[in-house]
Amino acid sequence: MKIEHDGNNLRVSDIAELNAINASAFRDEVRAAMPASPHTIEIDLSETRFVDSSGLGALFALYKAASNNGHDGVTLRLVNPRPSIQQLFELTQLHQLFEIARR
Amino acid sequence: MVQSVPPERGVSQRVSFKCDLADARNATRLLRAFLAEQGLDESEQFNGELCLAEACNNAIQYATGPQREQAITAEAICHSAAIELRVTDHTAGFTLGGPRTPLDPQRENGRGLFIIQSLMDEVRYYRGEEGNVLVMRKTRTHQHHRPADAAAHASLDSAREQLEYCQQTISGMARELCFRSESLSAIFRCCAELGRTSDLEGFGHRLMNDLLHLTTADWFVLRILPAGGNQLEVFAASFPELHHHALPFTAGAAEAAPPAELAAARTRREVEFAAAQTAGDEPLRLAGAGASGLVHPLLFGDQLLGTLAIGRRNSDPPLSALQTGMIRTFAEFMAVQIQNARHHEEQVHARLVAHELEIAHRIQRALLPRTLPSLPGFQLSASWESARQVGGDFYDAIPIGDHAVLLVVADVMGKGVPAAIFATITRSLLRAMAVRSHHPARLLKRLNELLYTELSSVGMFITAQLVFVDLKRRHLVAASAGHCPVVLRSGETVRTLAVSGTPLGILPETTYQQQTATFAEAGGLLLYTDGLTESQNSAGAMFGHDRLVEWFRARPQLGTAEAIRDELTAELTRYRGGAPLRDDQAILILAEDSGTEETTPPGHRSDPEINHMPALTRDPATAVATHSTSAP
Repeated sequence: MKIEHDGNNLRVSDIAELNAINASAFRDEVRAAMPASPHTIEIDLSETRFVDSSGLGALFALYKAASNNGHDGVTLRLVNPRPSIQQLFELTQLHQLFEIARR
Repeated sequence: MVQSVPPERGVSQRVSFKCDLADARNATRLLRAFLAEQGLDESEQFNGELCLAEACNNAIQYATGPQREQAITAEAICHSAAIELRVTDHTAGFTLGGPRTPLDPQRENGRGLFIIQSLMDEVRYYRGEEGNVLVMRKTRTHQHHRPADAAAHASLDSAREQLEYCQQTISGMARELCFRSESLSAIFRCCAELGRTSDLEGFGHRLMNDLLHLTTADWFVLRILPAGGNQLEVFAASFPELHHHALPFTAGAAEAAPPAELAAARTRREVEFAAAQTAGDEPLRLAGAGASGLVHPLLFGDQLLGTLAIGRRNSDPPLSALQTGMIRTFAEFMAVQIQNARHHEEQVHARLVAHELEIAHRIQRALLPRTLPSLPGFQLSASWESARQVGGDFYDAIPIGDHAVLLVVADVMGKGVPAAIFATITRSLLRAMAVRSHHPARLLKRLNELLYTELSSVGMFITAQLVFVDLKRRHLVAASAGHCPVVLRSGETVRTLAVSGTPLGILPETTYQQQTATFAEAGGLLLYTDGLTESQNSAGAMFGHDRLVEWFRARPQLGTAEAIRDELTAELTRYRGGAPLRDDQAILILAEDSGTEETTPPGHRSDPEINHMPALTRDPATAVATHSTSAP
C-alpha cells in the first residue's frame, strides 16, 4: 500500500485487497496519515481485486473520520474500482457517500 | 443414451481449515479459482468468493472457547444451471433475518449477511449437532452444458461424495430433532409440575437435572439475585459441594479477574469457564479441577435475575453448538419462571395487605358503641368516618352511675391491625377503670402506665381527650393526653377547653392536668379527632379549630345533639368540596335537651360554682374554671 501527501490532499494506492485480515490496519494507517484539514482523499482501487464487508466498514470509518471532524467540503474519491466492487458499493448504498471516478 | 446418465450432480470442491482469518482467506481464494475453472464469469466469481468470505469470517468471529478448536469447512458445488456454496460453522448459531431491507449507508458493520442475502438467490441456515451449515444458492448467468457422458464421468465421484454428505446432514438433523423434542417434553413436564405445586426450587432442580441429561453435562449451579438484593445466592446446585456462599453483586465494581458467575452477571453475557485457568477463589472450581463449562446470565428484559453455570467435570468433549443453544433456551425459560414466581408473591402480599386492612376496619367498627347511652337531660350523638388507610380513631360514652358520663375521643397514631388492637385495649381499659372517671387526669396517668411498654416497643402513641360530665350538677372535668381541645357552648357563648398533656406511650411516668367548667345555660360539648380540623378544601387549606369554634358559635340555637352532628358533617362535606377524606374523623357531641330549665331541679341553680360563673355568657374569659390540679 502506498500513501502520498500533496498539501491537504491524500492519495492511497496499491491496495491488493480490503478484507477481514487487513481492513483495520488499512483504516488506522490512512487515518493516521490524514492531514489536519483534508481537502481530497483519493483511494485508488485500480489494483484492488477483492473487498469484503470488513473493507467496506474500513472505508466507511474513513468517511466518518474525514467528515466528523467538521471539515466541510472534504471529497472522498474512490478511483477505478472494478465493476464487481462498484456493484458492491451500490448494493450497500456506500456509493452515496463517496465520489467514484474512472481514469 | 442420455436417459441412462444419472441426473447431473455437479462438481464440487471442499476445503477444511482451522479457525483463523488468514486460513479462511486462502480457502476462499482456492474456491474462487475452482469457480473460474468451471467457467463462471468475473462477476459470478467475485460474488461467490465474497459470500464465502463473509460466511467464513462469521464462522470465525462468532466462535468462542472450544468452538475455535474445530475446523471450518467451505465448499463450492457447480451444477450446469446453478452454483451452491456451503460453510459449516461450530458457533452457537444465528438467526437468519427475513426479507432484506434497504441498508442504511451509515452502518458501521453487520453488512455480511445482508450482502449474502442480496447476492444469492436462496440462503438457508441449518443448525445441527455436529455444527451448523449455511447453504447459499445462485443461478448461473450462462448455463453451462457439458456433453452428457463427460458430465457423467466428471460427476460420478462427486455424486458419491455428495450422497455421503447428504446422509451425514440428514442423520445430524434427525439427532437434532430427537434432542429438541426431548428438551421440549422436559420443559412441558416441569411446567405441569410447577402449575401443581408452585415450588420454584423443586422446579429449578428438576429442570436443571433434565438439562444435565440432555446436554450430557455433569454439574450446574443456579444462582438468584433476590429482588432488591445485592448477593447472588445459590438457589439450586447439582451436588452439595457446589452450595458455595453468596457472591456480593454490585453492577459497577470490577476486579481484575472476577469469578465466572460474577463476570456473566456484570456483563450480562455468556462467559466460558475452565477450572484449570482460574484462580483459587473461583467457586466453580468446586465442580472439579478439570471442570469446564459456561455461565449464562438469567435476564428478564433488562433485569438481571441470576446466573446459570453448567458444564462437565472434564473439558472433553466441549459443549456443541446445539447443546449451548439448549442451555440458553433453558436459562431463558428459567428466568421467565423466576419472574412469574415473583409476580405471584407480590400478588399474594397485596392480597394479605388488603385482608389485613379489612380486618382492621372490622375491629374498628366493632369498637364503636352500637348505641349511645341515654342520659337524663342530655343527648349524645356521634359520627365516625374512616379514610382509606385505616387508623385508630374511636369514641366512647361510658355512663357512670345514673347522673354522670365519661366522654372519650382518642386517636391511636398508627395504621392497620396494630392500631386497631391498641384502640381496643385502650377502650377496654377505660371501661374497666371508669370508676375513677370523676378524676380523668388520674385515669390518663394510670392508662399511660399500663400502655407505655407496649406502645413504645412498637413506636406508637395515643392521644386522648376525656371529659367527665356530672349531669346533675351540670359540671364537667376535662383532661387531655395531647389531644385536640374540647369545644364548649353555654347559652350563646362558645369556649375552647384546651388542657395540655403528653400523649400516652411517650413517657414512662407522667402526670396530667385537668380543668373544670360548668354549664350556666343550655350546654353543649364537641369532642373530635384531628381528622375534622385537618379536613382540606380543594385549595389544600385546612378547616381548622377556629373555624369550628366560629361555626359552633354562629348557631342561633344550640339545637339537638343529632342536629349539631348532621349540620357539622354537612358543613365539612361542603368545605371539602369533593376532596377525599384524608384521615379518620371522629366526632362526639353532648347537648342539653331543649327546655332543660323546666326539668332542672331548683337546687341546681344554687350550686356555688354556678353562682361564680354567671359571666359564662358575658365574659368568656372567666367562664371556664381553670383550677388545674395535677394527678398525684
